[in-house]
Amino acid sequence: MHPNPSMSDAADERDELSRLLIRVAAGDEDAFAELYRRTSARLFGVCLRMLVEHGEAEEALQDIYTTVWRRAASFDAARAGAMTWMMALARNKIIDRLRQRRESMPSPVVDLDGVVDEHPGPALQAEASQEYRRLQECLEALESRQRQSVRDAFFSGSTYSELAARCQVPIGTMKSWIRRGLLQLRTCLDA
Amino acid sequence: MNTPLDHDSSPLRYAEYVLGVLDADARAEVAREMLISDEAAAAVTLWHRRLQPMSEEIPSVQPPGRVWRRIQQSLHREAPAREAAPPARGGLWGNLRFWQGLGLGASALAAACLLLLCFSWGPRVAPPSASVAFMAATITQSDGHVGWTATMDLERARIVVVPVASPSFAPGKAPQLWLIPAGQKPISIGMITSRTPTTLALDRALLSRLGPTASLAVSVEPGGGSPTGQPTGPVVATGTIGAASG
Repeated sequence: MHPNPSMSDAADERDELSRLLIRVAAGDEDAFAELYRRTSARLFGVCLRMLVEHGEAEEALQDIYTTVWRRAASFDAARAGAMTWMMALARNKIIDRLRQRRESMPSPVVDLDGVVDEHPGPALQAEASQEYRRLQECLEALESRQRQSVRDAFFSGSTYSELAARCQVPIGTMKSWIRRGLLQLRTCLDA
Repeated sequence: MNTPLDHDSSPLRYAEYVLGVLDADARAEVAREMLISDEAAAAVTLWHRRLQPMSEEIPSVQPPGRVWRRIQQSLHREAPAREAAPPARGGLWGNLRFWQGLGLGASALAAACLLLLCFSWGPRVAPPSASVAFMAATITQSDGHVGWTATMDLERARIVVVPVASPSFAPGKAPQLWLIPAGQKPISIGMITSRTPTTLALDRALLSRLGPTASLAVSVEPGGGSPTGQPTGPVVATGTIGAASG
């Protein structure tokens, strides 16, 4: 990614990714290689963050791109951008993996007040998309426990019961924080 | 106060699916809903667009080169099928792009070709034309691997389902194939297996519903088929139907 892309650069990049994905749907291997070159570092970052274990993150990335190749025909540029489509596919794969392995993994206890990376650094804000800034504004408007729970859920892929256990609150409380947070986010984002 | 927040079937389940807080069963339930309802699929897409920008905070990490090599290897296991496909002769066979688009596995493509050639042998009344004679679908398992390929011969009103992967099922359970017109309830086509190709007769009334907006799904049912006429077990594979005319 460019260190500080202007808005039109970002839009060009988005269109370019959509064009590549449409060529992938037609079986174009060169387009697939280019798509991988441009997007794999972002998706691998997400795999690593959510799965933590390096070997499993690599396996997940492989699984994600072979699925991109097979399912590219179901990409609909009118519905979502190529990156959104691929990220959705990636998160689904990652969360399914987490569900499969969770039984054997004890979840560490987390003190919500101790979560440090709640606010992104200034460098990130400089290159963040318009959508990111908008979402950030809406997140900032949430009550802090709601915001932290929604963020923790998004970045960890944990279930309600895992999140509740980590924060040592009843599951009903966790559900209520997150659901109210989601409702308020929707209202704010769709306004 | 009784608010929608108290119900697990609240519309927020689409948001919860995207956020990743649902357990495996609830996730499967939403995934199944997305298959049969455009509205559900659109709601999930919308939540992806709302929440995903958060992932911009996650730093990019260059994956090791071996990952790309493994991806290429797994794709090239499918590639020989492309070269081994019969030479172009118009119609279905001429449309190599179509097959490539499906990303068919080598053995599946070979088996489907063989079966269809058997069926198609002998003089045809009508020359291959612009009208759709065949439709095809890859039925992909939730792990991303192709489970079956399905090819429909519209003239003869039948469907050939060829297993690619060989998933195993619990004793007394068997895969059942369903046709799902967009936004409608699944219609049973019949029982299939994970080991041998199956040919099933298609109801001609069903054929009118085969189109780019219909999909196929495989659910796990009792050996004799779903007792209710609707899928009762988990949906293990799905695919979209596409025209295979040249």
